[in-house]
Amino acid sequence: MLQGALAGLAAGGLYAVLAVCLTLMSRLVRVVNFAQAATGMFGGFVAVWFVSEIGLPIWLGALIGVLVGGALSALIGWIVATWLAEADTTTRSAMTVGPLLLLISLSFILFGNKPQPFDPIIAGPAFTIGGVVISQVTVATVTMAIVVAVLCKLVLSRTSVGTKLRALSERPTTAELIGIPSKPLAIAVWAVTGVISALVIIIVAPSQSNDATSLSMLIVPAAAAALLGGFRRLDLAVIGGLVLGVLSGLVAQIGEVSLIRNFLPFLFIVILLLWTQRKEVWDAAR
Amino acid sequence: MKRHLVGTVAIAAATLLVLSGCAGGDSAGGEGAPIKIGSVNTISGPATFPEASKAAAAVFDAVNADGGVNGHKIEYKALDDKGDPATATASARELVGSDEVVALVGGASLLECEINQGYYTQESILSIPGIGVDTGCFNTPNIAPANVGPFNDMTLTLLYGSETLKLDNICVLLEIAGSTRPTYQAAIDRWTEITGKKPLYIDDTLPYGAPDYTPYIVKAKDAGCKALAVNPIEPDAIGQVKAANAQGWDDVTWLYLTSVYSDNFAKAISDAGAGIYVPAEFYPFTEANDITADWQSLMAENDIPLTAFSQGGYLAATYFIDVLKGIEGDITRESVTKALHEMAPIENPMSGTPWVFGTAETHADQVAGWPIKLTSGTNKWELSGDDWLRIPSN
Repeated sequence: MLQGALAGLAAGGLYAVLAVCLTLMSRLVRVVNFAQAATGMFGGFVAVWFVSEIGLPIWLGALIGVLVGGALSALIGWIVATWLAEADTTTRSAMTVGPLLLLISLSFILFGNKPQPFDPIIAGPAFTIGGVVISQVTVATVTMAIVVAVLCKLVLSRTSVGTKLRALSERPTTAELIGIPSKPLAIAVWAVTGVISALVIIIVAPSQSNDATSLSMLIVPAAAAALLGGFRRLDLAVIGGLVLGVLSGLVAQIGEVSLIRNFLPFLFIVILLLWTQRKEVWDAAR
Repeated sequence: MKRHLVGTVAIAAATLLVLSGCAGGDSAGGEGAPIKIGSVNTISGPATFPEASKAAAAVFDAVNADGGVNGHKIEYKALDDKGDPATATASARELVGSDEVVALVGGASLLECEINQGYYTQESILSIPGIGVDTGCFNTPNIAPANVGPFNDMTLTLLYGSETLKLDNICVLLEIAGSTRPTYQAAIDRWTEITGKKPLYIDDTLPYGAPDYTPYIVKAKDAGCKALAVNPIEPDAIGQVKAANAQGWDDVTWLYLTSVYSDNFAKAISDAGAGIYVPAEFYPFTEANDITADWQSLMAENDIPLTAFSQGGYLAATYFIDVLKGIEGDITRESVTKALHEMAPIENPMSGTPWVFGTAETHADQVAGWPIKLTSGTNKWELSGDDWLRIPSN
């Protein structure tokens, strides 16, 4: 049981990292970025291409892949900041479905629809506690989730850039009027989350199914995890991701309920929504 | 107004004439008319099988280049069902109803057999899929695939694991699509009947295309499985092996099916535990040999990947051409059906069982696989035996 729960932690860490990115985007640039995992996937595939076709060493390929992921994300950010600057969150988020589908199709066209031969940057078991194996990937993703969340928290609360970003997200028009450069800052946020997504996907992709669709669809459990923090709180996003991973690990161990494992993120979302809306009266909630 | 009416009537009349012309059902009946053949394939969608119909088309092109069959050229039309039931239904009706094909040959679809088998029976048309995938390809009188199929392949892989590798504590993990569960159960029961052995446990909850298979692998490791017999599509298999690598489970033996037999898979797997074993449905193509030379050169000419799927498409088309050449008189749906029903079995060294359509109620007669293996650090499939492994007849 315990081994099963801990086995889910690697996936949990991955969900948590992506959930932190989603939460950042939602807070700072008013977008639920559906293409969050897809840009990472594409960056990862570019990395694989450089390693397997050009023969670059894995670290260099990974670096290029991470930069491509960041650049793609920045490009989407530039489009949003240029043409949808005044649009509401729903419209801006809906627009990101386009790049999601485009990137999946584009990767099929460029790299084929077979899984990619990712060379692992890190692989194998890290250590064993009482017969329970903790893999290196688990250590990496969980650490990354916590570090990214803490760093973002510090940047937002302790630096002038953070203050400007908060001002922009709270009162975009006012912030612009007092001279805060909204567009470069917004695009920077897109680029940073793009880099983080690409990095975490390049770390986990060798140890799991790594075709374009499964990697891009990581956005579903990540969104479920971000929902725990209401797309506002980074700490809850991390906890949401880890809990979701551990739950799916647990559920797979128990024969009677293992079928619901496929719907777990969905159930998670439904239960959270029911809980958060529990005090709403119907008319007000509509 | 009047002129409009006249125009409309003229168009309607013309349309009727064209339609009645189409419905003449004169395919290849007359002198020099083409022989129309079709296939329904999953070329786009969640799991794709594009190679089979490409390989069949290559065979037909080669026949056409040599002047066709008894002076008739072959017209081959491979449609994409997108893995979608409605499209699969429509594709079959387009080929059988409007195009009036004489038979369906060389297809490979995720779900087409089960959906269209009733229609084929009703229209008295026969289908020879290059690769039969779903249950419906193996349980009806009108469909006879060229391949072993995942169910017999499952029995074979279990036999190889328990009898040749002498493994005990084999666990079965299944990815179930549609209504394949009982058929897989029957395949496992057949192994139990032959050997008297039972799987340690069966887990039929593996999702298709899951991002991470670690929990299932951990469960198997905790239960004490020595070997895992699994039926995944290629990307999922890679995920499963990598999940076991991450858990440091290095003494597990993998008993997979032909779906993972590709160079791509071999390249992706460096640590194969105690080995990955597969009963290949057709003679292996990993080393140059005379048996697959014809097929290999035809595939190379047409730039078709070397996979078990393209072997199946090639064989289905080859068998069909043999049968066509033996038909005297007009080549029509009736004469083709009659010829397939009365044919003698065809031997081909690429397949371990002679192939025959015949008049059996079901067609799952391909029961031989050639054992191949992938061991750690080689990134290359190798032969793991020097003869076909067969399911003993009860």
